[in-house]
Amino acid sequence: MKEELSSALAAEDAAIWAYGLIGVHLTEGTEQDQARAAEDTHRARRDDLVEQLATLKASTAPTPAGYELPFPVQDRATALKLAIQIEDGVAQAWRVVLPVTESTQRVDALSALTDSAIRATKWRKLAQVTPLTLVFPGRPAA
Amino acid sequence: MVLTDAVRMSDSRHTRRRVLGAGGALTGLVTLSGCGLFDDDPEPVKEPDALQPVLAEALALASAYDRVILTDQSLSARLTPLSQAHRAHAAELAKVIGTTLPSGAAAPSGAAAPAGDVAGLRAAELAAQKTAAAACKAAPAARAALTGSIAAARATHAEALR
Repeated sequence: MKEELSSALAAEDAAIWAYGLIGVHLTEGTEQDQARAAEDTHRARRDDLVEQLATLKASTAPTPAGYELPFPVQDRATALKLAIQIEDGVAQAWRVVLPVTESTQRVDALSALTDSAIRATKWRKLAQVTPLTLVFPGRPAA
Repeated sequence: MVLTDAVRMSDSRHTRRRVLGAGGALTGLVTLSGCGLFDDDPEPVKEPDALQPVLAEALALASAYDRVILTDQSLSARLTPLSQAHRAHAAELAKVIGTTLPSGAAAPSGAAAPAGDVAGLRAAELAAQKTAAAACKAAPAARAALTGSIAAARATHAEALR
């Protein structure tokens, strides 16, 4: 379970970092608020994970030296694209936590997966990407 | 790490939806249990699979989408992917349960038919999300990821219908 939780932590860290870049390229108002709310949620999840991993006496994942963007983020379109990709990635990281957890811990992992999937759909709406949904959120395509 | 991984933007490898052709195949499911020949050795009553309600809902939702599309073709582009997603869910659930999907477009009885408009579909998705989430919580490890993805998918459908 430590390994899965560590992966989720890495995904949440990446999301927090990415939203810092995404926000500045979005339209002021609703869009930026949505990015800020997403970042806050990812921060809360990250803090929860750090606590859980401490309880498990697992060392938290080493902080990566630097993240690399999958593509340059220069404008609103690329910022939205990154936001979608980030949320899909976080959903994938949480999905693998489901089989290694039970009861309330699994419920928490499922709500993290679900929240990310919903945010990805919201970003797709703003980016006018269709379809708005994935058939199996969190499942890697390959 | 997530950033550098190729995170897939689409989920196109889902099983093609089973072609739910003309009805009639249900008759093939009728068993001989009622014929009285084997009364001495009754079949043990098989507990329905815990995922059966999730499967029934997936089929009911797929049919409900199809009905709404039939009444308003302009919704087709928006609703068809959601209907297809439910059929893909049903196909995977049937595989895990070890059952075959009933042929014919009709949903099995037992699952309530959602109201025939977008608001009705949205309410049905939110209700179905709860069923799948409860199934995920109770599921053995091997079924947790599938039921979790289905619960999340239903939540995103409700979001897409907003």
